[in-house]
Amino acid sequence: MSPEEVCYSLETNEKGLSEQEAQRRLRIYGYNEFESRRFGWGPILFRQFKNPIFVILIACAVVAGLFTTIDQALTIIMMIFLAVIMGFINEYRAEKTVHDLQKRVSIKTVVIRGGKPSEIESKLLVPGDIISFYVGDVVPADMRIIESTDVHANEAALTGEAFPVEKTSESLDLQRPTPQQLTNYLFMGSVVANGRGQGIVVSTGKNSEFGSISRSLVRSHPETPFQKGIRSYGNMLLTLTIALVVGIFSINAVLPNHKLVDSLLFSLAVGVGLVPELMPAIVTICLSQGARTMAESKVIVKRLVSIEDFGNMDVLCTDKTGTLTEGKISLKDYYSLAEDRDPRILPYSLLCSTAIIGEKITGNPMDVAIWEYATGNGAQRSTAPYSKIFEIPFDYERRMMSVIVRKESDLVLITKGAPESVLFRCAYSETLGKSEPIEAAKESIRKKFSDLSMQGYRVLAVAYRNVDLKKTYAIEDESNLTFLGFLIFTDPCKEDAHQAIMKLTEMGVEVKILTGDNELVARKICEEVDIPVRKVIVGAELTQMSAAQIRQEVEETTIFARITPEQKLDIIKALKDNDHTVGFMGDGVNDAPALYEADAGISVDTAVDVSKDAADIVLLEKDLSVLINGIGEGRKIFGNTIKYVLMGTSSNFGNMFSAAAASIFLPFLPMTAIQILFMNILYDMSNMTIPTDKVDEEYTTKPRKWDIGFVRKYTLFFGPFSSIYDFLTFGIMLFIFGCWAGSTATGATSLQLHYAALFQSGWFLESFWTEVLVMFVIRTRRIPFMTSRPGKWLAGLIVAFVAFGTVLPFTPLGGFLGMVPLPTNFWILLVLMVATYLLLVDAGKVFFYKICKF
Amino acid sequence: MDYNELFNFWIISISWSIAFIILISIYLYASTKSKREEKSQTKQKPLSLVKDQGIIWFLVGLLVFYIISIKFGSDILFATGNVLVEAMLIIYVWKNRKKAD
Repeated sequence: MSPEEVCYSLETNEKGLSEQEAQRRLRIYGYNEFESRRFGWGPILFRQFKNPIFVILIACAVVAGLFTTIDQALTIIMMIFLAVIMGFINEYRAEKTVHDLQKRVSIKTVVIRGGKPSEIESKLLVPGDIISFYVGDVVPADMRIIESTDVHANEAALTGEAFPVEKTSESLDLQRPTPQQLTNYLFMGSVVANGRGQGIVVSTGKNSEFGSISRSLVRSHPETPFQKGIRSYGNMLLTLTIALVVGIFSINAVLPNHKLVDSLLFSLAVGVGLVPELMPAIVTICLSQGARTMAESKVIVKRLVSIEDFGNMDVLCTDKTGTLTEGKISLKDYYSLAEDRDPRILPYSLLCSTAIIGEKITGNPMDVAIWEYATGNGAQRSTAPYSKIFEIPFDYERRMMSVIVRKESDLVLITKGAPESVLFRCAYSETLGKSEPIEAAKESIRKKFSDLSMQGYRVLAVAYRNVDLKKTYAIEDESNLTFLGFLIFTDPCKEDAHQAIMKLTEMGVEVKILTGDNELVARKICEEVDIPVRKVIVGAELTQMSAAQIRQEVEETTIFARITPEQKLDIIKALKDNDHTVGFMGDGVNDAPALYEADAGISVDTAVDVSKDAADIVLLEKDLSVLINGIGEGRKIFGNTIKYVLMGTSSNFGNMFSAAAASIFLPFLPMTAIQILFMNILYDMSNMTIPTDKVDEEYTTKPRKWDIGFVRKYTLFFGPFSSIYDFLTFGIMLFIFGCWAGSTATGATSLQLHYAALFQSGWFLESFWTEVLVMFVIRTRRIPFMTSRPGKWLAGLIVAFVAFGTVLPFTPLGGFLGMVPLPTNFWILLVLMVATYLLLVDAGKVFFYKICKF
Repeated sequence: MDYNELFNFWIISISWSIAFIILISIYLYASTKSKREEKSQTKQKPLSLVKDQGIIWFLVGLLVFYIISIKFGSDILFATGNVLVEAMLIIYVWKNRKKAD
């Protein structure tokens, strides 16, 4: 169908739909979005049951139901439900937070309605809308192209084709075409890799032909250091758990007086006790709470898992525009070889532009700056006699763009771009209307360019040549040009950039500048904001280097100038290979691969769609101070996650290890399976407020990494502290409170059971108290409470749970769990013993941190 | 298992926990010694091992105290000893922490 026929069939025209009609269609077709992207409770609830720990718990319930009493099985089932509900509520809240935050960085589209262009949220598009698209846009709906200028689209997500394919508005005469054959269609989810144009929306949301496929084929991010850390931690625990469960069961099974079923339940319960099953929930809560706090600092987190790497990054790669500079580029002046400036420079620059002239001027900042300058002095009127007939778009190889314009019968090719690139293609220069070979003037042009760059000005060159009428033009036509002059732009440094750089340096983050500009401008800007420049490398040098050389050079280099987007990717990969946690801040069309590759891909709200889509984190303001707040928040979240890990692996491990050892020499189980599971649930619940805890200031002063070696050392060192006090409790219960004598008394089974229950109750309390209260010591390297106070929610919840655990033996629930009240003397000894344990762990901390750094 | 056998088992278990910490402490101390020396650019004196490993001597003392008090089966002895241990630990932590800070 021709564009006119498509318009006719969709009851629209070149002026687009009216607002009323668009609203009517929105009611019929619904929002332009997918159900898979919608937020719902179903998948979250389902995810809770995918946790392998529930498989173990269900196995426990089945074993208990088959071989012991139904009460035991029901208790375990109740615990499973409790754990599922806890996990579900927390994950639901976390996901809702992210969902709400993501709405703040929604993708927008330029739509023509009632003849006027305006920007609307892409989800409000309806069939029949006329939309404009530009390089870098993620195609928001299936559309028929009605106007195109060298449009190429990357449809890799749909077709697997890695290279961009050309798209035109030409009608096709095909029967049952395949998507690849539809060269006049743009499909939802593909990316406009080049050019610009207009299209009519044909289908939206779930009705789009390939939309749902494209969404499900979203490119996956590489595993971040944090994810790797969590994985290696999980593997370490899995090995420990399997070894312990198999070991305990095998030994208990052969011991006299130990029932096989009880031994199986006990060993499974010890396994459950060892696994920090709340880890995913704690991490998710930590991350979502952090995301909420970061949003208050204008940092929107799109991918939760990247927060901790965002905090832990030690290298930040960024362009200078908008981060070190104001990002408000303005045309200061223009220059030609003669003292009288060539009057064609400005109109030619306006014609050779991608700026979109609507209610306000948008598009490439430099083109916008030229238009703003021209509209300020009325220069845009001088473009009236010209009409544009062709455009050769910008690309990073050439670093320039060209247009072919007609004025009466004359055709002129105008080129605008990086001075080195344009000069390379110039054969002539023009002074006062007199053209002469460029060789004579080349040196003075280069010197002027160099002087301007050294003053920090960004410079573009303008050149032209007369051409003949052709059907199409190509980059080969950009030769034998006549140099006209320079456009001189300013983008002043931000006033607070110096402080921001200082702060980043204090925080252990090294800033590296990756810019398309030349090295002189970049160096000047770095000088102004006090970034010490160790070394500068330009893209051409980088091309000559091997991967190993790049790895070596990236360590020493501060400025990478005149680089291509592919080289940005190489730099990030090299830094990652050198074991850095790399943040990359980008907003350009071709920054998407680097944003994917970086550990923390950072974009800004004003970036092109494809960059925002690829980023993990979107800043609502392109400002380093916004970034600094986010980094601090990321470090706090990492700090709180690590607290849970260290606590779980040390205290938990010690307790379970003691249980395993005691089961060998005791005539009864040191704690029943249900008691272990119940204690585990209580312990998990008491940890739910860890994400709200305060983090010591010194913890956020430098980037940290997951160090599984450190976690292992911590576990091996602090785990036995807990075991000492477990064994001490065993000693007290057996030899001071007479549990040994009572449990081995001949003939009186009820007395034996009572003493076994007394032992189990005593150890339950000691174990629970030490496990929960040690959080106050482990959470800080300082003196607990005196120089580092815990968060009020954490402290409150821990105290509440300790109180609950304390009264438990006196309640019917305690009786149901097989617990009995303990003598008064026990409570005195328990308080003293736990106090000694906490002090000893604190003393151990002094020794440990003196020799083990983290 | 008779009383003596169980008591011996108990001593082995608690001693093993303390011995494990001591071994780990020595291992950690030795494995980071060269790094610390490099950082401070001075060689550590053999005596500093005794001083730095104060926690180990403390743990050994603690083990002896716990075994004696449990052997006697006296809650009074255990409680009194614990209060003393706590006082010593507070002094140790306070002194060392101030230095570390």
